[in-house]
Amino acid sequence: MTVRSESRGTTGALLAALPKIPAISPLVAVLIAILLVLIVPPAIFLLRISLHETLPDGSLGPFTLRFYESLFTGRFFLPSLYNTMIYSFGSALIAIVIGTVQALIVERTNTPGRNLAIFGAIISLGVPHILYTVAWLLLLGRSGPLNDLIALITQQPQAINVYSMWGMILIEGIGFVPLTFLLMSAVFRSMDASFEEAAIVAGASPLRAFWEVTIGMGVPAICALAMLIFIRTFESFEVPALVGLAGNINVLTTTIYQSARRTGATNYGESGAYAICLVLIVTVLLIWQNNLARNAHRYQTITGKGFRPRIVDLGGWRYVSAALLLVLFLFVTVIPAAILVFTSFLPFYEGVSLESFGRMSLDNYSVLFGPGSFRDSILNTLILGASTATIVVPFTALCAWLVVRQVKGAVLLDHLTMLPLVFPAIILGVAFLNIFVNMPFPLYGTLLSVIIASSVRYLSYGMRYAYAGALQIQPDLEGQASVSGASGASVFRRVVLPLMAPTLINSWLLVFLLSVQAVSVPLLLVGPGSEVMAVTLFELWQNGQVTELASMGVLWMLLMTAVSAVFHMLTRQHQINA
Amino acid sequence: MHRGTSRRKAFTVCAVLMSAGASTCAAVSVAAAQDILTSRAANREQMIIEGARKEGRVVLYSAAIVNQAQRPLAQAFMKKYPFVKMSFWRGDTEEIIAKVSAEMRANNLVADLIEGTGVGELAIGAKLAQPYFTPMIEALPERYRDSRGHWTSTRISYFSIAYNTRLVPPDQVPKTYDDLLDPRWRGKLAWRIGTSSGTPLFLTTIRLARGEAKATEYFRKLATQKVINFGAGSARTLVDRVIAGEFPIALNIFAHHPLISRAKGAPVNSQLMDPVASTAGTMIIPRGVRNPHAALLLAEFILSKEGQQILADADYFPVRPDVPPKDVLASVIPTRAGVPELFISSDQLNEYTESSAKVFDDMFR
Repeated sequence: MTVRSESRGTTGALLAALPKIPAISPLVAVLIAILLVLIVPPAIFLLRISLHETLPDGSLGPFTLRFYESLFTGRFFLPSLYNTMIYSFGSALIAIVIGTVQALIVERTNTPGRNLAIFGAIISLGVPHILYTVAWLLLLGRSGPLNDLIALITQQPQAINVYSMWGMILIEGIGFVPLTFLLMSAVFRSMDASFEEAAIVAGASPLRAFWEVTIGMGVPAICALAMLIFIRTFESFEVPALVGLAGNINVLTTTIYQSARRTGATNYGESGAYAICLVLIVTVLLIWQNNLARNAHRYQTITGKGFRPRIVDLGGWRYVSAALLLVLFLFVTVIPAAILVFTSFLPFYEGVSLESFGRMSLDNYSVLFGPGSFRDSILNTLILGASTATIVVPFTALCAWLVVRQVKGAVLLDHLTMLPLVFPAIILGVAFLNIFVNMPFPLYGTLLSVIIASSVRYLSYGMRYAYAGALQIQPDLEGQASVSGASGASVFRRVVLPLMAPTLINSWLLVFLLSVQAVSVPLLLVGPGSEVMAVTLFELWQNGQVTELASMGVLWMLLMTAVSAVFHMLTRQHQINA
Repeated sequence: MHRGTSRRKAFTVCAVLMSAGASTCAAVSVAAAQDILTSRAANREQMIIEGARKEGRVVLYSAAIVNQAQRPLAQAFMKKYPFVKMSFWRGDTEEIIAKVSAEMRANNLVADLIEGTGVGELAIGAKLAQPYFTPMIEALPERYRDSRGHWTSTRISYFSIAYNTRLVPPDQVPKTYDDLLDPRWRGKLAWRIGTSSGTPLFLTTIRLARGEAKATEYFRKLATQKVINFGAGSARTLVDRVIAGEFPIALNIFAHHPLISRAKGAPVNSQLMDPVASTAGTMIIPRGVRNPHAALLLAEFILSKEGQQILADADYFPVRPDVPPKDVLASVIPTRAGVPELFISSDQLNEYTESSAKVFDDMFR
């Protein structure tokens, strides 16, 4: 296996992407084959469903282009596209700026409260997105405590209207802060201080050295992350549906939803057409990103020398930065969690008042601990999350490393792993339902089928994480190992994986936390006996009172925090030993 | 993709998936076994029990809530018929239809009985249904039966508005559909989109009650009220938003939901309007079902007094007149409240939903 590749331009990378099979390294060919088997069937399903009428029995009818036609000519498409752009860009901007600043403070300064920030981010990641959104609405809604407070001071009732574009951007953006923070932390932590020191020696001011070197070298990681958030927001549904629709702000997903679900029988054609367009947009973005990675060597910071990130002494200012961390901790973690806890003890929610404290009881929790509920599904859920993460992380680590090293054909790996991100989750669920139910062996309805589908779904997340990690490793280290006689496999296992470890550990946890809270994909795939908690939670959301939902959310949060804490302790131990 | 699954493969799947008790899965016996579904033989009941004993299992897909309805149903059913293992899966009506359609196309049918609001007409549209007969329907009013025998009704839903009692003073509560046009409610009404029992049902109710011309005139005025499109979550969730004070009034919600919260002290109430729309949840046995005897046994259990009582305890309105709903819910039954009822049958829903969705797209979206 070729570890080091010749430096190649865009054209070269694109040429490598062409199916010249003999030119592709055998390992890449195997990985591509695996991905094709996993991704092509749902992709074909998507394409076919976008080009055919869906008959009432769910089978495909005559060929049609009308879904594409209605997408581009319908009066809803352009305004929603415009809104989607503002919404996605705004959310990505908020998440990146706040998350990066937080990561810088935590990783590069002597500000106290580092563990608090990590702890807060992990708890927030454990809150299912739909609950998180509900929590913010309880808080910022017309009858929420914030509006009450403003009314008390200014006498102006309901001054804040959260059902607006800024409301959507704020809630979605803040929701992504923990993810950004954890990823950027991993990037800054593995950055060699000698680059900055060299800049200072060369006459740059510390601020300029920091800006041009540290931020500059973080650019590919920031871009990769920004794209992940942008795409994820592009196809997000919870915030647009809960916040946007109520304010009559339509984005693409809610427009599609309204078209698909306007009558009882679901018609997936338009969603399919939309997803295909999204695939094209993302492909363009990926090509652009690959161009950026062409100069990847400029960003490699993990070298053969021992290094530690340079910690900046902020002096008195560190109290300011600590206050900032505290404010973030409050807004990203404590307040949403607190309002959920508060609601979980109430018989119904009607804003925060002294009266409501008098009504508190444990009734909602007794419903949860009643027969069945979610005790049945806890084990399934943990197996699902752990298996998905354990499949996705090593796989994407290998893919990302090959892509960064520009091994022949590897750019295809990048494209393939990103594809599932743009499949709308509900379509992916329907596609896998149709695939699994037709398998000649009994896969349909099993937990294994859910694990396979969710591994495909979260490949992209694992890939973005691993990519950012792999980008920073200088090929010299691997070269030295190779020269010393290590085989390609042992270079990857003994050099690359350990160097990528901090990133991969976060990636594992992220994939775990995301896959256990996914609803749309498992919804149709689970059968009697393979239920998972997220689906039960979704059912509560659909049918139960918001207070019961909150109590299950609190329990969920505790469980996920416990899982994350155990995980962190184990890995910390491992890191220290290593 | 494996679209063209061979029969052999399908049988392999069948054989493996079936429990130990029913290891044979021959096409002949499946076809013959389906005869029980339309049988009116004198020893019919005995044949069902015997057949179900051999089949040993039954799978229900239902839109009913698991904890309150499906689990208690399964427990009671298995207590009465310990030789049949009942399992269940919950999904929305649309999801049930999607799942069962896919199973049927793949010759890999897992569900034996499916139930939910709107299941009947969607299943017929998707060609999933087959006729079945049960003497239990004798206990049901005519309108809850299907003349072709494709479905039976299981539970009734009544629709009304919900209002927040703090935000809507008693003397201002809208009592008629025309009261909703009062300018004071502009931007304060919300309704649920993205489901056939949401906006399409509301619009269909008005169209059926007033005729097309008057209905259109009404919609034109209602459109100026800027009704808020609530797109995430169920009717129950919308009622929660009303309680929270986000929306003062919600249209077309299940009339009993506000009552349940009101009993806990929540500032919310239902207001029936003339006419009160009502629909029935329906139940079908899919074509080529694997456990036809057990499916029929379960269907009859759900229609029995015992089964209907379980639904009543789970806050549903039973279809059997001899099983009353909970007392706390009685006030929204139109006949008791003295408000005219408009029962919208499966056929009518089928006929009107698409055109009502178009009205929504043209005037309200």
